Amino acid sequence: MCRTAPLPPITTFGSLLVANRGEIALRVMRSAKSLGLRTIAVYSDADREAPHVRAADDAVRIGPGPAPQSYLSVSAILEAAERTGADAIHPGYGFLSERPELARAAQAAGLVFVGPPADVIDLMGRKDRARAFAVAAGLRVLPSVPVDELLRAPDALGFPLVVKATAGGGGKGMRVVRAPADVAEAVAAARREALGAFGDQSLIAERFVDVGRHIEVQVIGDRYGSVVHLGERDCSPQRRHQKVLEESPAPTITDRVRADVTEAAVALARSVGYSNAGTVEFLLDGDDAFFLEMNTRLQVEHPVTELVTGQDLVSLQLVVADGHPLPIEQADVQSLGHAIEARVYAEDPFAGFLPQAGTATFVRWTGRVRVDAAVESGQVVGTDYDPMLGKVIAYGPTREAARLALVDALDDSAILGLPTNLGFVRTLAASAGFRDASIHTTWIDDQQEERRPRGQTAAAVIAAWTLATASGPRSDPFDQGDGWRLAGEPVGTSVELLVGGSARTFVVHRDGRVSDGIVAWTVVPIAVDGPAVRLEIDGVAHRAFVRVGSDRVEVSLRGQCWPFPRRGTGRATVHGEQRTGVVLAPMPGTLTTIRVALNEPVGPDDVLGVLEAMKMEFPLVAGIAGRVSSIRAAAGTQVDMGTPLFVVETDERP
Amino acid sequence: MSMRELVEELRERTAAAREGGSEGARARHAARGKLLVRDRVDLLLDPGSALLELSPLAADGLYDDDVPGAGIVTGVGRVSGRACVIVANDATVKGGTYYPLTVKKHLRAQEVARANRLPCIYLVDSGGGYLPLQDEVFPDREHFGRIFFNQANLSAAGIPQVAAVLGSCTAGGAYIPAMCDETVIVRNQGTIFLGGPPLVKAATGEIVTAEELGGGDVHARRSGVVDHLAQDDAEAVEIVRSIVATFERPVTPSLRQHPIEEPAADPSGLYDLVPVDPRTPYDVREVIARIADASAFQEFKALYGQTLVCGFARIWGFPVGIVANNGILFSESALKGAHFVQVCNQRGIPLVFLQNISGFMVGKRYENEGIARDGAKLVTAVACSVVPKLTVVIGGSFGAGNYGMCGRAYDPRFLWMWPNARIAIMGGEQAASVLATIRRDGIEAAGEVWSPADEEAFRAPLREQYAEQSSAYYSTARLWDDGIIDPVDTRRVLGLGLAVAANAPVREPSYGVFRM
Repeated sequence: MCRTAPLPPITTFGSLLVANRGEIALRVMRSAKSLGLRTIAVYSDADREAPHVRAADDAVRIGPGPAPQSYLSVSAILEAAERTGADAIHPGYGFLSERPELARAAQAAGLVFVGPPADVIDLMGRKDRARAFAVAAGLRVLPSVPVDELLRAPDALGFPLVVKATAGGGGKGMRVVRAPADVAEAVAAARREALGAFGDQSLIAERFVDVGRHIEVQVIGDRYGSVVHLGERDCSPQRRHQKVLEESPAPTITDRVRADVTEAAVALARSVGYSNAGTVEFLLDGDDAFFLEMNTRLQVEHPVTELVTGQDLVSLQLVVADGHPLPIEQADVQSLGHAIEARVYAEDPFAGFLPQAGTATFVRWTGRVRVDAAVESGQVVGTDYDPMLGKVIAYGPTREAARLALVDALDDSAILGLPTNLGFVRTLAASAGFRDASIHTTWIDDQQEERRPRGQTAAAVIAAWTLATASGPRSDPFDQGDGWRLAGEPVGTSVELLVGGSARTFVVHRDGRVSDGIVAWTVVPIAVDGPAVRLEIDGVAHRAFVRVGSDRVEVSLRGQCWPFPRRGTGRATVHGEQRTGVVLAPMPGTLTTIRVALNEPVGPDDVLGVLEAMKMEFPLVAGIAGRVSSIRAAAGTQVDMGTPLFVVETDERP
Repeated sequence: MSMRELVEELRERTAAAREGGSEGARARHAARGKLLVRDRVDLLLDPGSALLELSPLAADGLYDDDVPGAGIVTGVGRVSGRACVIVANDATVKGGTYYPLTVKKHLRAQEVARANRLPCIYLVDSGGGYLPLQDEVFPDREHFGRIFFNQANLSAAGIPQVAAVLGSCTAGGAYIPAMCDETVIVRNQGTIFLGGPPLVKAATGEIVTAEELGGGDVHARRSGVVDHLAQDDAEAVEIVRSIVATFERPVTPSLRQHPIEEPAADPSGLYDLVPVDPRTPYDVREVIARIADASAFQEFKALYGQTLVCGFARIWGFPVGIVANNGILFSESALKGAHFVQVCNQRGIPLVFLQNISGFMVGKRYENEGIARDGAKLVTAVACSVVPKLTVVIGGSFGAGNYGMCGRAYDPRFLWMWPNARIAIMGGEQAASVLATIRRDGIEAAGEVWSPADEEAFRAPLREQYAEQSSAYYSTARLWDDGIIDPVDTRRVLGLGLAVAANAPVREPSYGVFRM
């Protein structure tokens, strides 16, 4: 079944510079290449070896790692376009995608900008003006008051309320306020953040809907006034106002609401003279849809729309940017089946979703569903850019089929080396709450503790078994890993791992018995293919991905990465000096100074006194923490080498 | 008894010996924060490493059965990736003191280290020589002093010597750490002194604690007798492991190792196909098929001297020449064996002897044909072999057959016995007959009559004595071998032995005069 109309050839440009990085750069290039365009990547020093650089026909360095000097620099992008003879620029999402400056500069340089007109970007980029425009276009909005008024009369709007940066997006510069007393502080904090993130500290204040659903409508228009919508998406599962799971169609809304929001979105786009792809966001409070904002770019979550409509949004963007009329009419757009997307971030879901950096030592993306990602094994994930690593998008004839396919796909994916939310998002997708679609925009933040990952013990058993058995073909009969004994039963292989911070010793026997001294398991290998390990533990089959490093074993089980530091494998430190608390004269000499008093508490690096010998001064260091229990010599005394001078007593074992 | 029952008995006796000292002694040992000797060894070895323990049943049935394992654990295992000889005192057995067989077992381990160029690790926890038997442990060439002689000469040969002092190290024993290249001691636990506090008090009246006299702090800080101070057994062992990790001198294996293939014939078949009574003949090729890689055996001179089976095979990927008895030795068998042994020496192929021999053929015809001359050729070839030799006594080991088939006197790198093996100068019945004939001749020469009842009364104790003394347990208790093994383990044990042997280079062969 083909639901896409044949696309007209691109004629006004032959090459496309993608002013972005990561998965969206790859995504845009894929469609561009299919339309016969030469693709041009830009990259910072941090991305020299990145996949999007390799994927492009040409690639240009645009500056050092920090985004303001590279991906956020309009002049650097324009210069790159000039150097490579690019005809058009696609901004992707994030970075400069919603900066009218880029659109204007591109136009001034005679380049095609793949996006809406600069003025529209400008208008919609300001929450206050966009809101006013939407009201004029007949859309409903949430009650709002100017921030200054709110500061004067904190009760003016009722609670909860939200203050957010007029120039913002992505949850930055946004604060939910639940009590009058918190208004001033929230406004101040949001302003600081807004200023830092967008260079503009103006805010708007709106009523906040706690258990709302986030619904958005994908629209696309051409230069000739045609606008069609491609249905809606539900992006309610959010953490700290960042989307995590997105789906289409929205699972809970009525046809009336669906008609309301799609019509409203098209009306808004028409009235603003919109062309190219955009998204109109609504907050649903019961059946009431309130306009939130319009995003004048391709969305991260556009693939779910592509999967249910069969349309290629990037290709459509390129076609309308080329000046063609929209090749589809509203009647051509049908939504079939269900698609769900999970965003995978380098972040720690159990430590405030803090972005994480590190080397992705092993990356596996499932081949079973669509994955838009640009992270591969061995890649360094830095903090210069957004921590999103990729998207896993599953499709099914029904929502439940899509959901199960997504869970399966996440089980079949793994990222080792740094903390990610892969296991967390898998738990979310598998949860009853998501299954029943009883989710709302603060659902994740509400029930965080219940989503603590499980499976640590199984992962530790997998780690121990893999470590004990998998180290390549061994020819040395001493090194068969079975702990063979001439005089007795084999002792197996001991593996010491730190599990949840405490040391545990697992003994792994060749016959599959694994024990930690308290619990015993029976492990049967089903298939071991490099890092992909399928093991049966006590009759339950597990599939995991394992990486054995010299200092740690990492196991990805159901998407969750468990790092287990290894113990007993490093070389012991052969101490030159053992710390006993008895401080001896290092040389024959004179104890010139005593700096401590009896019973004085001291740290290991504290100097207790000074010995002078051979015209040199030797500091007498405590070595251990404790109390000075004895001073054996008076200042000015001549002492022999090795004479005990001080004794420090500690509470630790002797 | 069937082979399975014999193996079961072996397991039980070994398990009993493994316990070491009495429960009380072990509890007291543990109460001092010390690990049991086998736990120390396990901790020292690389995780999963095999341990080729030597003579775990040493002193079995001797010294009132009070000294299991002769109070010392020895063997070869991997430490920091390197095969090492480990010698560890069991302080729960008579305070780790050296009985005559303790000395013999210690010296044997050092001999394994010398022959195979393996670093030595001594885990010392011993009160020194066992004073009541001083005449059997102190004065002679192969007595206590030889331990230190060996340490000096092993070190001189570039074979590292490392000790961890985990308990007492008294009198002569003090020289074990002192003679090492690098030494670790455990604080408040290990002590080293020539004379302990009681002796010091008796000699000079000085009253001193063991720790003050020769504890860890003293030796690590003042005397310089040790190089590293550890807080406990585990740390001491870890330090030893890191010391071994500094042995950078590479080992160039003297044997080529091919890819390993399991035998096609199931080794557990050995339980059923090998008759326990050495008098029952069977085809030794059935044994070879359960030891050799892929059960592949390329026979040499298959049609000649058929009572000795010779041929090429691989064990754990190592090439070997197998010499296996398949009946009594005739001149042809001896000539074939001598020829094959020379071939293996020319090619640098290690030899594996599967001993099951009641002796050379006797009788006028054979003596007249010069079987002694041909037997001597085999003995010469074996004695002068330069390639590693490994011997497994899988049945009888009687008379000159023991010599030609590389018995203990012929310096095989290792010699193991199956539990059914018998070893003696001749069979008990034959010995009784020979002695009875001589006695009868004496009695009859004196004109007296020796009644059949009297003769039987003479023969029976001889038969009994031989039966007892030729058992594998009698042998292993006295260290005539390196241990009794489960036949099913033969392939693994030989593989380990070959891996050990590969650590030492092989020199050019040369022989004494072959009597032609």
